[in-house]
Amino acid sequence: MVSNPPPKPKHPFSFYLLPFILPILLITVWQLASNLDWLQSSILPSPLVIAQTLLDLLKSGELLKNIAVSLLRVLEGFAIGAGLGLIAGLIMGLSRSMERLLSLITGLLRPIPTIAWIPALILWMGIGESSKITVIAVGSFWPVLLSVIQGVRSTDPKYLEVARILEKDRVTLLTKVIIPSALPSIFTGLRIGMGIAWASVVGAELIAASSGIGFMIMYAREVSQPDVMLVGVAAIGLTGLLIDFLLLQLQRRLLKWNSVWGGES
Amino acid sequence: MTKPMSLKIENLTKHYSLPQGDLAVLTGVDLTVQPGEFISIVGASGCGKSTLLRLIGGLEQVSEGRILFDETPIQNPGLDRGIVFQESRLFPWFTIEENIAFGCRKNLVESEKQQIVQDHIKLVGLLGFEKAYPHQLSGGMQQRTAIARALVSRPQILLLDEPFGALDALTRIQMQQEILNIWQKEKITVILVTHDIDEAVFLGDRVLVMSNRPGTFKKTLSVPLARPRDRNSAAFLALRKKIYDEFFSKKKTGGRSR
Repeated sequence: MVSNPPPKPKHPFSFYLLPFILPILLITVWQLASNLDWLQSSILPSPLVIAQTLLDLLKSGELLKNIAVSLLRVLEGFAIGAGLGLIAGLIMGLSRSMERLLSLITGLLRPIPTIAWIPALILWMGIGESSKITVIAVGSFWPVLLSVIQGVRSTDPKYLEVARILEKDRVTLLTKVIIPSALPSIFTGLRIGMGIAWASVVGAELIAASSGIGFMIMYAREVSQPDVMLVGVAAIGLTGLLIDFLLLQLQRRLLKWNSVWGGES
Repeated sequence: MTKPMSLKIENLTKHYSLPQGDLAVLTGVDLTVQPGEFISIVGASGCGKSTLLRLIGGLEQVSEGRILFDETPIQNPGLDRGIVFQESRLFPWFTIEENIAFGCRKNLVESEKQQIVQDHIKLVGLLGFEKAYPHQLSGGMQQRTAIARALVSRPQILLLDEPFGALDALTRIQMQQEILNIWQKEKITVILVTHDIDEAVFLGDRVLVMSNRPGTFKKTLSVPLARPRDRNSAAFLALRKKIYDEFFSKKKTGGRSR
């Protein structure tokens, strides 16, 4: 029955190398194909050309400026959407009647894809910041809502009984028992929500924007700069990966008590 | 500590309503526990002994009869009755120290609270493990933490629901010795539910044998042996056999009660 802290295995160098093998192979083949003129550079420029464009865009500051604009929108929208999802999730998770009250409306709204809201939101709010932030908020709201409800519901009744025996009030019950127990599930929702938020901002910017990474891609298409376009696409992927990595670090820190979620995942 | 209070169970009945009709779990249970007494209740699984403990704990309501604690019927759980279950039920997100502190009464000054928690960590022998998380400890240490958590509020009664049932045999014997030390030190009333006859005789001032379905006390034995008890003494073994016979030998010959 002795369960020691899981030993931290020292990985060989090849373990860290492993994820990079496929991308490197792919890029090499791509570059070779370009050199052999199998690929038309006006449609798919070679990796070296794209890398050169990346450097230029970094130097001019254009890329980072656009990423920063998009990122700010994501953070604002995510804060609103995830915040509301957290509150609504707690209410619906704790009260069966509240869930019943809201079940039909959430059931109707949830299947609507986030981008379907964009035209309506532009009509209502114009093409300024607020419509984009709202799209992101809507997108990140749902996964957070569902994961919070799920997390709250799955609190072990045995823990609730302990809190009853120890005469804990409702606030203590919520903050010390229910929320910590729901945290692993909540974190999953936050990570999915952040992914959707990042995807929605690009969608919103592709349709209507004058700045941001989505705008950069769209504009590059209009002036036929496939290399800029692809730098933009790659930047979305990299930033998304970075954000998820940061959330994962936060999760490990907060859930260090949990041998499954606090460890590696 | 306030003045000791007595526990009195009068003609208690508990049944659950099921679709197929009422299921009687306990009938005609009578018991008076003196303050500071150590009571062992032995029974087979499913005999209702845990239900009885949950009723005393206030986690469930009696169907008929009553349980009086300090002359008042028990209706709710309360910090005057600590409970330890077979599973430690520690919160995995709290350290050992935080888990124990969670058992404290409200409106304690922080320094006071720290002192009490520290005292109880010492009492159950977990010094040095304050900052560990439950999953880093062995089953026995987890149960020690659970016992400390049940004791920090200074309850009058400690209810133990097969607390050592999930531990290995050697750890179990060690824990039995320790619970005895704690009982003697704290001068607390203990009601232990177990299916381990040896454990019941080793610990209890009295051993109550519970019959099966519906559960009721079919026999009460006092254990007149001085502590520390020798599990291999003739008197101990004789008592042990007497209880053992209640469960097994007589079933074969068809008889039930004396």
